[in-house]
Amino acid sequence: MLLITIMTFLSGVTLGAVVLVQKSAIAWSSEVGREVTIQIRPIEGEVMQSNVRTAITLANSAAGVSKAFALSLDESEELLIPWLGEGLDLSALPVPRLIIVELDRADAQDIAQLKASIETIAGASLNTHAAWRQQLNTMAGTFVISGLLVLFLIASATVLAIIFATRGTMSSNRAIVDVLHFIGASNSFIAGEFQGRFLRIGLRGSIAGAVASLLFFFGAGIAVSSILPDQSGAQLGALFGTFSLGFEGIIAVSLLVPAISALTAVTSRLTVQSFLRNTS
Amino acid sequence: MIRFENVGLAYGNEPEVLKNLSFSIKPGSFHFLTGPSGAGKTSLLRLFLLSLRPTTGKITMFGEKVSRLNQDRLLQLRRHIGIVFQEFRLLDHLTTFENVALPLRVLGQSESEYASNVKELLEWVGLGERIDAHPPLLSGGEKQRAAIARAVIGRPDILLADEPTGNVDPELAERLLHLFAELNRMGTTIIIATHELPLLDKFKYPRMQLSNGRLKIDGS
Ligand SMILES: Nc1ncnc2c1ncn2[C@@H]1O[C@H](COP(=O)(O)OP(=O)(O)O)[C@@H](O)[C@H]1O
Ligand SMILES: [Mg+2]
Repeated sequence: MLLITIMTFLSGVTLGAVVLVQKSAIAWSSEVGREVTIQIRPIEGEVMQSNVRTAITLANSAAGVSKAFALSLDESEELLIPWLGEGLDLSALPVPRLIIVELDRADAQDIAQLKASIETIAGASLNTHAAWRQQLNTMAGTFVISGLLVLFLIASATVLAIIFATRGTMSSNRAIVDVLHFIGASNSFIAGEFQGRFLRIGLRGSIAGAVASLLFFFGAGIAVSSILPDQSGAQLGALFGTFSLGFEGIIAVSLLVPAISALTAVTSRLTVQSFLRNTS
Repeated sequence: MIRFENVGLAYGNEPEVLKNLSFSIKPGSFHFLTGPSGAGKTSLLRLFLLSLRPTTGKITMFGEKVSRLNQDRLLQLRRHIGIVFQEFRLLDHLTTFENVALPLRVLGQSESEYASNVKELLEWVGLGERIDAHPPLLSGGEKQRAAIARAVIGRPDILLADEPTGNVDPELAERLLHLFAELNRMGTTIIIATHELPLLDKFKYPRMQLSNGRLKIDGS
């Protein structure tokens, strides 16, 4: 019973984490997907200000664009502080300018057209963050697959543990099995007598485990928002979507209850039957 | 109904407990199986119950060769045999009612079908008040009666009882033997193992006497 509870809890936490990462990855990906940036490198003989204006005009008139705006020099400076240190004066340096283009929809054809027209401007290039998104998706995918692998390992461990527990129960109830055999009970009748017991254990254990793992996420969510309200909280939040499992997550964790109960029932039934075959 | 031909039984490499037994038991008969403690009465009953296989010789039960039976057939034959174990072997996790009902459930009856039969029989053996008690709370005599009720509830063709009067006072012992006689009149073949000879004198049934591994049947 405790064993099933622990196994369900572990599965619940793993499954919950997988759902969180999957959800966050989809959210990031679509957010990032609706934004492209234009970079204009300074080139001698070109007037930066006019090129920036041209790019903004082009972008604004392109299909699918909702808004295009240039980052001011100050904003660009801020972006560069982590790299170049405080107190730098960009006006003295030939830095590229960035234009943020927000899209209504992430349509590949629109973006290709925009790219073609932007690149007619000397020194201008369009960045779709495609490579970055690719990497993000790979990462999330790796995490999801590892999570599923962990789930599989937990399930295997559970099956093994149930087999041993069932065998133990059967040998300590050997006298009962013998009496039932003397009365002429078939193996499936005897298995049925034990079945109910194992099903009850599986059901109670997995409900307790699922509730515990839901409470874990609930508690983690509260802890994150109260103990780390600042930057690290925001970072964790960005990583795990503020720990809220959401509807799908709760459903997924709840589905562990019938899944693990069924696993317990089937495993113990097969074990009982093989035990009876080997002892009668 | 039961036929033994040159049957011998030994446990492991020990000397034979039963030697070269040949006899047959007719349907509807009633036998006492007697002999001192350790003579092999329980072992012989276990051969009848098909829970032991003979070391040598041939046993035929219900017209079928025991050595040819597969597991399923063996379990089916056992449903025609009622057994009262010397040590009762009631299931402690079930109530008296559930213990006695077990053979009927094995036969596939539902509770609504057997409930009144089981209650009636429990009343009859004087356990009407103990229907919901679990075996650990029953006295020796009560367990004895519950074990007998379980053995007879399914109206078996053969009833085997191992020392069924060992744990009850002489008065109840006699009543129980009358119960067996009653069942026998209704057609059940009965074999009762006991070493309490005085009690048997009131009943004119043939005795199978075991001593030194040999069996002697007489119609006393
Ligand atoms: N399972 C067993 N293994 C080995 N020896 C046994 C076993 N059961 C009984 N015996 C031996 O067989 C002999 C007959 O025993 P049993 O049939 O119980 O006699 P009874 O019922 O007449 O007292 C005894 O010597 C006993 O020690
Ligand atoms: Mg005995």
